[in-house]
Amino acid sequence: MSEKVRNKAMISYEELIPGYEFPPASYELSASLISKYLEAVDCADELKVFGGFVPPLAIGSYAMAAMAESLSLPPGTIHASQEFEFFKLVPIGATINCQAKVARKLARATMHMLVLELDVLDQNRERVQLGKATIVLPV
Amino acid sequence: MLSEICEGKSLPQVVKHITQEKINLYAEASGDFNPIHVDESFAAGTPLGGTIAHGMLILAYVSEMMALAFGQSWLSGGRLSARFKTPARPGDTVTVSGKIDSIEYKNGISYANCSLECCNQKEEIIVVGGAVVRIPSSKR
Repeated sequence: MSEKVRNKAMISYEELIPGYEFPPASYELSASLISKYLEAVDCADELKVFGGFVPPLAIGSYAMAAMAESLSLPPGTIHASQEFEFFKLVPIGATINCQAKVARKLARATMHMLVLELDVLDQNRERVQLGKATIVLPV
Repeated sequence: MLSEICEGKSLPQVVKHITQEKINLYAEASGDFNPIHVDESFAAGTPLGGTIAHGMLILAYVSEMMALAFGQSWLSGGRLSARFKTPARPGDTVTVSGKIDSIEYKNGISYANCSLECCNQKEEIIVVGGAVVRIPSSKR
C-alpha cells in the first residue's frame, strides 16, 4: 500500500454512523503490487486469465484495505457477503482513488453488522468499480 | 474463453488448495492481517476454532473462473454477488464452479446470468452467488 493511506486517524465501530464517509485514499497499482497479489491468489497464468490488466478483485482488495487503514474493528470480524460491479479495464501502473462509506449499521444482541459501500475511480475520475461489503463483528 | 456461450453451459472449474502459507501470503499482499486469518492461537479460541481464509481470497478464485470464461468482458463489465456460507480453512481444497443459467438481451446487448458455487472437499458450500457478464460480440 502507498504511504498515502497510512497514518490516518482511526475510527471505531461504535463511532460509525450510516452515511459516514471514510477519508478518500489513492494508490498506485504498481507492477510489483499486482505481481505480489497474483502470487498470493495462486494465479498460474496471469496473461491468459487477465490479459495483462489488473485483476478486478485486486482493486477491490486494495480498496477495502485502504478503508480498513482508518477503521478499527475487533479481531474476529468476518466477511458475510460481497458485491462488485466492474466498469473498465485498468492497466497495471494506474492510480486508483477509493471512496468508502457506511451504508448500514445493525446492532443485535448476538451480532453487529456493517454494510460498507466502495466506489473506485481512476485518475480521470472515471468509475472503475463499485462494491458493497457486509461484515459481521463479534459482540 | 468459452468456445460457445449458451444456456446451461458449465464454466471452467478452478481448483485451489488452501494452506496457511497461502493465507499468510494473501494477508501480506492485501494488508488484511485480521488475526482470524493469520493468528492460529487467537483463531483457535474463537467459535471458528481455527484460522480461515480471507473471503476475498476465495472470491479471487471465482473471478479467475469468470475471467477464464469471459475474458475482458468480465474485467470491464462483470457483476458479482456472493455470500460466504462456510469458512475455507487450511488444508481445504476449494473447487469453484458455475454455469450459465440464462441469457438476456437489454438495449441491444446480451448478458449471461451465471450461478456460482465454491465447495470444499467435503462438498460443503463455502460461497454461493451469481454473476452477470456482458457477452463478447464475437460470441453472440
